[in-house]
Amino acid sequence: MASNLAVAVLNGIVWGLIMALIALGLNLIFGLLHIINMAHGALYMLGAVFSWYVIELTGNYWLALIVAPLGVGLVGLALERGLLRTIEDQPLVTIICTFGIMLVLQQLVLTYFGGTARRIALPIPGRFRLFDLQYPVMRIVIAAISAAVMGGLWIFLNRTRYGLWMRAVVQDREMAVALGIPVDQVYMWTFILGSVLAAFSGVLAAPIVSVDFMMGREILIMAFIIVIVGGMGNLWGSVVTAVMISLIHGVGSIFVVPSTATVFSLGFMILVLLVRPQGLFGE
Amino acid sequence: MKERNGKKSVHEAMGMEVSRRDFLRTTAVGAAGFAVGSLPFVPFTYGASTPIRIGMIQENTVGATAYGYWLTKVARASVAKLNAEGGISGRKVELVEYDTKVNPAWASSMFKKLILEDKVDFTMGSVHSGVQMAVFPLAEQYKMPYIGGGAMAAGLTGKDAIAYYSRIHTHARMQAAAGWKWGFDNLGKNWTFLVADYAWGHSLAEEFGSRIKAAGGKTQTILAPQNASDFVPFLQKVDPESKVLFTAFLGAPALGVMRQTVELGLHKRLQRYTVICCTDGVGQETVGKESAGAHYLSYYPRYSSQVPKELQAYDKAYRKAIGMTDDAKDASDPKNTATVSHMWTMWTTPYMIKLAVEKSGWKDSKKNADFMKAFNTLKVKAGPWAPQGDLVMRENDHQGFHDHYLEEVQPNLSLKVIARVPKEKLMYDAPVDLRAKL
Repeated sequence: MASNLAVAVLNGIVWGLIMALIALGLNLIFGLLHIINMAHGALYMLGAVFSWYVIELTGNYWLALIVAPLGVGLVGLALERGLLRTIEDQPLVTIICTFGIMLVLQQLVLTYFGGTARRIALPIPGRFRLFDLQYPVMRIVIAAISAAVMGGLWIFLNRTRYGLWMRAVVQDREMAVALGIPVDQVYMWTFILGSVLAAFSGVLAAPIVSVDFMMGREILIMAFIIVIVGGMGNLWGSVVTAVMISLIHGVGSIFVVPSTATVFSLGFMILVLLVRPQGLFGE
Repeated sequence: MKERNGKKSVHEAMGMEVSRRDFLRTTAVGAAGFAVGSLPFVPFTYGASTPIRIGMIQENTVGATAYGYWLTKVARASVAKLNAEGGISGRKVELVEYDTKVNPAWASSMFKKLILEDKVDFTMGSVHSGVQMAVFPLAEQYKMPYIGGGAMAAGLTGKDAIAYYSRIHTHARMQAAAGWKWGFDNLGKNWTFLVADYAWGHSLAEEFGSRIKAAGGKTQTILAPQNASDFVPFLQKVDPESKVLFTAFLGAPALGVMRQTVELGLHKRLQRYTVICCTDGVGQETVGKESAGAHYLSYYPRYSSQVPKELQAYDKAYRKAIGMTDDAKDASDPKNTATVSHMWTMWTTPYMIKLAVEKSGWKDSKKNADFMKAFNTLKVKAGPWAPQGDLVMRENDHQGFHDHYLEEVQPNLSLKVIARVPKEKLMYDAPVDLRAKL
């Protein structure tokens, strides 16, 4: 029992931190651009697929962890400049547009990458004993990297000029324009940053799960749940909620069938929305 | 011809005069000759009869696409071979294809389109049990012969069977009949089933599990969503006393559960056993070193070197016709692994349609019931059209029987056949009798 609980808690935190990265990107884009980005899961998938190609070419996972998100960042740049900018401030149209982007990206990957799931070898093999069970070292490393990236994002948003501009645009776009903040540029970089975060999560998750063209679909649903429960637009609410939901699912799985434990997570979401429709940390 | 600007025309220069009538006659005869000469040689009499149309539904996008790709490729090659050999009763065969999108509702609409708009004579395809079940009412309503193409839920030719459906290949009950005893004797008597939480996974856990328990073994079943990506919550619930871990997932989760079992170190105390459906179409290099030591129940050896000697000549011709290498790769793309254990069904099905048409004297849909009766009494001998070996249909439940294989993943990640299970050993009692329904 103690070993099961320890693994459930540890695994809940690990998955929570990965999910938090994905949800952060989604929430960042929504908070600033008011775009409900249905293509976010596809960008996560694209990160994993790009990393597979980089690893095939170089054999280096750590290089892929840098290169693949940058590649997806370029895709994000093209999407923001080429499509989303032209339909700015039309929420319904952006939902349909990003949904279309998701389908296009999935089918492109299906065409060129193929429909078969691929595997990325664990860059750090090995496991450690946790009471009666064992746990992979790589998952701890992934959790640590996720936490470090989130720390870096906090510093970026709170200690840099660009972060200040981003926060200013969220608070009052017109005032930001009046003060000379290049809002257009801020929008572009926000979308790129959101895309990079999604892709980075994809590369982190790839050695644990498998890489395939549909891998972003389920993640997207969970990311939306986290963003809604945490409070739309509240970045750090997403982080706390992601870990909470993963823990509820993990610990719940000890006592009931793991599939049923998913109901606990959804029940938690319903409860939060009934009591606080704006989300746990929303205003 | 008049001289233009003092220059002579080409014809004048060559001493030729061509009238308008000469020109038209010459070009008409020439065009007709060219058209006739360019016609491909076909062994059919033009205008003598309409083609026979076979409608096919496959999973080409959204999910199970590796299956869709190969089953479609093989079906096309099969129909091409059939036409090259004279078609069916002297009639050319045409294949009409639609994608199911792994969506039962969409697949139903495409199936209806095949019947009402494309006016197909027979239908086949889909590896998805849910899709097949969804089109059953249409097959029954229009008395449309439908031959399944890879779906493994036992109920399709059991409790949910319909008169106009046949399945020429294995399914969960047959797999259990073929594989439980070997596993029980060689791997262990205490089993944990970690399977996808839908009909196929349930079928496997029930069919294998009931036999294990009846033989005095112990079982535990853990259900996980088919789209699960993190299996730690499920794997940590495996009974510490279990000796065998039987898993059943498709696509990415199949790889995920295999590698995460190793990540948690469970492979050291558990024998791993599954059906090849989980990784058919996935190269062992992709499955990875985590799969070494695992056991698969398969329905066609992946490598030509592992095919039984008496079938090797047929296997060689079959691989060449469909563009598959000896190590089960796409001849035009070495990274694409074939769904070897499933796709032979689409090679043999068009040929069995031909046999049943000829046996029943089928000319049009009025004789569909006779066609079904003929189809379900076929006994196909191993040969160019049946490289997998002898295949016997059973009239009661419209189910086909064929040999199975047990394969073990070697340390070099190759799949080695360690046992062959003859079809006679897996003939369970027919759960339904459809004979009176035709």
